[in-house]
Amino acid sequence: MSNHLPPISEIWVYLSGSPLLALVLTLSAYLLGLTLYERSQRNPLANPVLVAVVLVCIGIRVLDMPYAHYFEGAQFVHFLLGTATVSLAIPIYTGFASLKARMVVLLLSLVAGGVTSVFTAVGMARWLGVDESLVRGLVAKSVTAPIAMGIAERVQASPTLTAIFAVSTGILGAVLGRYVLDALRVTPWWQRGFALGVAAHGIGTSRAFSVNAEAGAYASLGMGLHGIVGAVLIPYAVAWWY
Amino acid sequence: MIQGLVQLFMFQTLGELASKFALPFIPGPVLGLVLLLVYLGLRGHVPASIDFVGRGILQHLGLLFIPASVGVVLYLPLLQANAWALSAALGVSVVATVAVTALVLKVWAKKDIAP
Repeated sequence: MSNHLPPISEIWVYLSGSPLLALVLTLSAYLLGLTLYERSQRNPLANPVLVAVVLVCIGIRVLDMPYAHYFEGAQFVHFLLGTATVSLAIPIYTGFASLKARMVVLLLSLVAGGVTSVFTAVGMARWLGVDESLVRGLVAKSVTAPIAMGIAERVQASPTLTAIFAVSTGILGAVLGRYVLDALRVTPWWQRGFALGVAAHGIGTSRAFSVNAEAGAYASLGMGLHGIVGAVLIPYAVAWWY
Repeated sequence: MIQGLVQLFMFQTLGELASKFALPFIPGPVLGLVLLLVYLGLRGHVPASIDFVGRGILQHLGLLFIPASVGVVLYLPLLQANAWALSAALGVSVVATVAVTALVLKVWAKKDIAP
């Protein structure tokens, strides 16, 4: 090595040894994603997480930073997923308190929707010849990502693939949901919202909130309940399947 | 703020312990969620400190799964080879899920009106 290293690379060596670089990269990519999302009038296709993930992937490739190295720094953000999962009790409790009267029918439709989600995804993927190592990542994709990743660890699926499939599902559901609901002539806001929350979790929920407050409340209840029910039932479904 | 954070961490810890020693097939944070839900039910309302911190974290839930999602770089060739089949499976599945959930609600709600 030369003795005349330019100062910029010394700064570089110092920075890449600390978690700061990965944290700054993650947070600024997310901030940029959020700005784009707001600019696009909250178009679900401009999903801030999707934009941020693409930006960070490009970023670490440009910086020639291995993923393991990136994650070492970004794990401080990742850690809060568990805390966020616990916090989901707040919207569930609020929804539960005001929507108790319809709880039976909501739970029934949730279980029907959850079973449909798992079986159609795995069935279609197998039928179309998707690589078996990817198929397991599909089982929890309609569950909200923080819980889906916890389920993934329990069923020996990749949390990364599960998160990617969950985000894709959320975007697809937020974009396509209204057309499906219109075609089926489902008009009451609570029914439209709940179906979106069950099928497309957080991304569907924020879509529902942007259309109608009642739809949003039911969507967040649907998302939360699907998280709990999915965490309990999906490992059994997988054990039975394999 | 610290008070709310401590309480959330406490429920997370309780959940992890319950998962480790009693219900290993359910993820710890989900058990933490259920325990917090029970606690909120007993209290009868959401304490302001928990509400403040919890809502703050949930508002930026998406940020929290970026680090894991960036792991997609390790799967790119495999995902590219299966891109069409995967998109079809995800698309069909989400449409079917919305349809089934909504139809069950629709049929059941009609029953309510005309018993």
